[in-house]
Amino acid sequence: MMPANFQYRNPKDVQEAIQFYREYQGEAVYLSGGTDLVPRVKLGLEKPKALIDLKRIAPLATIDDQGEWIRIGSLVRIFNLKQESLVADYFPALKASLEATSCESLQMRGTIGGNLLQNTRCLFYNQSEFWRKSKGFCLKMGGETCNAVQGAKACFASYCSDNATVLCTLSTQIELSGPEGERRVGLDELYSNKAQNPFVLQPGEILTAILIPKKKTLGGYEKVRVRGAIDYPLLGLAFSSVNGTGKLAVGAVGPRPYVQDVTQPWQDTLGETVEALVRQVKPVGNTVLDAGYRKRMIPVLAGRLVKKVMEGAK
Amino acid sequence: METFNVKLQVNGESLELDVKPSETLLETLRDRLELTGAKEGCGLGACGSCTVLLDGLPTRSCIVLTAELEGSEVITIEGLSDGTRLHPLQESFMEKGAVQCGFCTPGMILTAKGLVERNAQPTREEIIRSISSNMCRCTGYKKIVEAVEAASAPGAGEA
Repeated sequence: MMPANFQYRNPKDVQEAIQFYREYQGEAVYLSGGTDLVPRVKLGLEKPKALIDLKRIAPLATIDDQGEWIRIGSLVRIFNLKQESLVADYFPALKASLEATSCESLQMRGTIGGNLLQNTRCLFYNQSEFWRKSKGFCLKMGGETCNAVQGAKACFASYCSDNATVLCTLSTQIELSGPEGERRVGLDELYSNKAQNPFVLQPGEILTAILIPKKKTLGGYEKVRVRGAIDYPLLGLAFSSVNGTGKLAVGAVGPRPYVQDVTQPWQDTLGETVEALVRQVKPVGNTVLDAGYRKRMIPVLAGRLVKKVMEGAK
Repeated sequence: METFNVKLQVNGESLELDVKPSETLLETLRDRLELTGAKEGCGLGACGSCTVLLDGLPTRSCIVLTAELEGSEVITIEGLSDGTRLHPLQESFMEKGAVQCGFCTPGMILTAKGLVERNAQPTREEIIRSISSNMCRCTGYKKIVEAVEAASAPGAGEA
């Protein structure tokens, strides 16, 4: 059941959107496809005074080939992006993660920007208000303790964007517009490393575009989920390679994707790279799959993925 | 409570509605327009039983706000037939026994309709990928795939 007490605004441009944000004194949330946000509002995980719908802002939904960069507007739909020939030609890993995102119907509604800015998830958090109240609010809801790991004073919710894991292997940058102006930063600077509040954004900032260096890459994405469609990842492994070296990233086992350089994907040293990744992640029992299983699958999938990509390069 | 004025088309009919910002498209369809073909399953966009065509795209109406829909065109299962003549997909679902409890059926048919609109003769694999957007708790997927396959086979008429 939807709470009835928010307002709806549909600005014509980014400046007007920021103006609305100011009017609501920060108690507004930007809306794109709504596939993450609307369920959050319905569950009472988000209680905004207003939703500021960005979908009328046409320039946010364009894809530009800028020569050195491919600039993808944040409101480009997942389904449209995966059909772009530029994506298939230059970033096969991204093509794979877009394909693995949820299901076709939700890909048609969901946007790439919204996918990156989806909130972190936990079996003990993404529940109805009634359910959460009965259990006692967890840290992410402003409570005293974590409900997934007894007694823990840190939040272990996982960031479940398939595409962010891949974009972290592609040296991606992002463009932000806010009350204090515009800035462009590396995608890795978006993440706070804290699951309770996963993003480093200034109040009122809008993610306007994603920029990927226009270099031909090889790559792929492997996803663990219970069903072949709709599900969020329970583990995601991404690999992209240019000229024989590359980056390997793991997602859905922490508040951000973790990335390691792979300097010799053909050599036995891949094992050390994967071990370095595994050391960073802390999967806990907050999904439908066992935490130990998810951790053990990291080297399995990483080995399989890198081998498959590098064999395709021969 | 502030309301929002929205003009949209539902099954070919032009409507002008004053809606609360929190009203979902599914609520508008079922409670206001009495079009109860779209079903509320999970209410969170996961199951697909509330699927309608929004500007031709299969869309979960339980997580879309009616306020978002200025100028949009919505087709529900009630708008799919041509008068009393059922759409070939509906005929095919009946013929192939693709309906068990029926709760997922409107969403399944509209998801399939979205597929055949952009790809008149999809492969079995493409059909499976598309309709995996929707859940059938009776698990009758095989018959559903067969029904879509039959309706979109060469010579099956308008699909």
